[in-house]
Amino acid sequence: MVLFALLALFGGAAYAQAPGTPSVEFPYTGNRTAVWIVAQLHILFAGFILGAPIFVVISEWLGYRKQDPRYDRLAKEVTKVTVILYSMTALTGGLFIFVLLATYPQFTTWLINHFFMVFAVIYPLLFIGETIVLYLYFYTWDAWKGNKKARHIALGVLLNLIGSITLFVIDGPTSFMNTPVKAEGVSPAEFLATATIWDKMFNYSWMPLNLHRLVGNVTFGGFVAGLIAAYMYMGSTKDEERSYYDWMGFVGNMIGVGALLFLPFMGYLLAYELCDYDASICPYMMADQLSMFFEMQGAMIGLIFLASNYYIWLSMKRIEGVEKVRMTILAPIVMVALPLVMTKVLTDYPAPDPKSLMFLLPMLLAPAVLGRFIPITVSSRTVIKIGFLMVVVGNAIWMTPHGFVPTGAKLVAELELPSDWNFLALMPAKNSAAFTLVFVTVVNYIIYNRAVTQGTIVWGKIDYASQFVLIFLAFSAIWTMGLMGAVRSLLRKYFHTYNLLPDFTAESFTPTLAYSAWYITGITVVFYAVVSFAIIVTLRASHPKEQAHEGEAVPAGAK
Amino acid sequence: MGKAIIKIIVGLVIGAGLFMGTMAFDFPPVFRWLFFGYAVLGTIVFLILDAPTMKVMSGGKALVSLLVFYAVLCTVFISGASLWPQYDPEDEKGKIVKLLKGKPNLLDPWKAEEVIARAKDLDQKAKELTERIKALGAAQAPAGQEAGGAGAPPATTGAAGGDVLKLGEEQWQLQECYNCHKLKGEGGKKRGPELDNIGTLLPQDEIARKILDPKAYKAEGFDAEYEKGKMPDKYKDLMEPKDVQALAAWLSTFKNTSVNTPKPIKMK
Repeated sequence: MVLFALLALFGGAAYAQAPGTPSVEFPYTGNRTAVWIVAQLHILFAGFILGAPIFVVISEWLGYRKQDPRYDRLAKEVTKVTVILYSMTALTGGLFIFVLLATYPQFTTWLINHFFMVFAVIYPLLFIGETIVLYLYFYTWDAWKGNKKARHIALGVLLNLIGSITLFVIDGPTSFMNTPVKAEGVSPAEFLATATIWDKMFNYSWMPLNLHRLVGNVTFGGFVAGLIAAYMYMGSTKDEERSYYDWMGFVGNMIGVGALLFLPFMGYLLAYELCDYDASICPYMMADQLSMFFEMQGAMIGLIFLASNYYIWLSMKRIEGVEKVRMTILAPIVMVALPLVMTKVLTDYPAPDPKSLMFLLPMLLAPAVLGRFIPITVSSRTVIKIGFLMVVVGNAIWMTPHGFVPTGAKLVAELELPSDWNFLALMPAKNSAAFTLVFVTVVNYIIYNRAVTQGTIVWGKIDYASQFVLIFLAFSAIWTMGLMGAVRSLLRKYFHTYNLLPDFTAESFTPTLAYSAWYITGITVVFYAVVSFAIIVTLRASHPKEQAHEGEAVPAGAK
Repeated sequence: MGKAIIKIIVGLVIGAGLFMGTMAFDFPPVFRWLFFGYAVLGTIVFLILDAPTMKVMSGGKALVSLLVFYAVLCTVFISGASLWPQYDPEDEKGKIVKLLKGKPNLLDPWKAEEVIARAKDLDQKAKELTERIKALGAAQAPAGQEAGGAGAPPATTGAAGGDVLKLGEEQWQLQECYNCHKLKGEGGKKRGPELDNIGTLLPQDEIARKILDPKAYKAEGFDAEYEKGKMPDKYKDLMEPKDVQALAAWLSTFKNTSVNTPKPIKMK
């Protein structure tokens, strides 16, 4: 990122003097895919280093408050990996700007000129500040213990503050490319000429993108923490190590899932603002060229929810006394009724109509409020199994398309839902499907908490399959990030900056989902390989099998 | 094992029920198989839930199982994405070429890359000609300089040649107006009014004005869409005046009074 900033400072000037500099042609991938690969890798590393410190500092605080050393160890181990990946973020950031300048020199110069203060001053200063605070945070860990712990936690909060501001700042140019400033009755080019840097930053999709990325980064960080735990669990030979990494995997998954619950709503907010900016973006996303990308997204999110609930199921198995845990019958009833009722309510009173909440809130709160007065209960096992059934139903609704065609233009009756059933493909049904997944997961966590308080948890004895579930969750979360990152970029259609600067190169078309999947998978694998290496180097290497004999002290000067 | 067989039988029965049910409701075959697939997914989930506990692995065995797991994940994700219907980029490439034809490149007003490429091309041709002149003698003229040779500007063809209505129809497709407006029974998702009778309700010039300034008219019954500015205010910047006029001319030919096109209300 420092390199990025320096290049932004000097590269812009250099290219400004040579406007006709021809771009290079990347072999095999082409220019656009080359930028895609490097940018996505950079975002993955950056996403982790911004997301992980959020729960690291919370974990450190919990350890301090509960006097539980496991939280502190988790926080420190994740920070160790973060420090290594911080270097990778800087490296890929530098590579990103090199590739951008080589492939799209004129556009890169144009963008840098429009955000000169951001690229040349604000961003580098924030990055330097973040570097200093991160290293201070890491290297003062052991020194600032006991009475000084609060000071160390405050440093962690400062790190997160700088990290979040850095994210918000760099989201400015990114969101600007999707939704450049505009005003009614004035052409975008004319308005841009008079716009201040704040006008450009504070565009339609800036804040929704900030929120979406912030929550997404915590989700991603949580799942990667789960991945770290899975690797270490698989490599552990001692029971106490297995016990700790089993616990860490559970906490990582809980953070990942906890943030994941908010992610669909943040995604809707971003999509809503994009559609509000230009209504033609909506059909491009949902009914035209990118519609199958969203089908794939539905499949991925469905799998992630299935896997995270399966992890809870496996976690429950190692709790002694779990069979005693019961829940009101209203919980499974609401689970089963939710997709149907919510689809009907949202069709009649589309969000954000408050009437929809008037119907849905009492229904959602019924198990907690009315459940106390209804004596009929069911076993936790039954509730979770009904929950799984509803997760499958939710996935089915989410993945059912209006037509089995890549664009609305190719729709024929043989590939289209019957008109009476078209509601399955509309937003109320999709929203209800997403909400069903969230509701089931919340209920499962409530059951788990009851099981923990009523029974005895045996850490380290979890089914070995759970480690593959943690790995699957991290892999799928990263893959989905790659998919949705591609979607956000492709929403610019054949423009570098939407409706403002057309992309005259031959690569400005929408690629196929299959082509995109190959590259997303490749990027995920490369990222995984680097993260795996970082985990092995930082954590495995620091756990010697046996304490080495330090030998006898030798006097200075002895031969 | 007995439980697993029962689950498989139940899954198949549910799958068959969904298949028959969707057939009864006239779902196309692809959807019947999709619903059957959901039943299979559910069966797999319930089989996994009660699967026996996996034995602890370590060392090389754990590493190999991990690598195999990653290979399976990659294969499943790539093949899963490839199973969905794929958009053909060739459809879009032609559209983009037409949309960008004649548009100024603000980043490269001098068309530097094009000029450099042409200069190189001409340089190469000059060298070839020099060689040929040397070989054949100065009296013979090279064929490449005739009109319509490789260096000549491309001829304008197709709709841009003069057929205004054809150009208008082409603009309807290029600007993807069908995504919001229904016409001839095709397209539209109720985002915008159906336009089969627009020619009776608005003259050509006013249709053009509405395209250029969406706030100029409001369609009756589309108050919320009008207030939210659902029709993008971008065509004045993206379309050439002749393209707007052609689209308006083409739309003004639609005078199907049997279709209830909402009445346009003048706002400006």
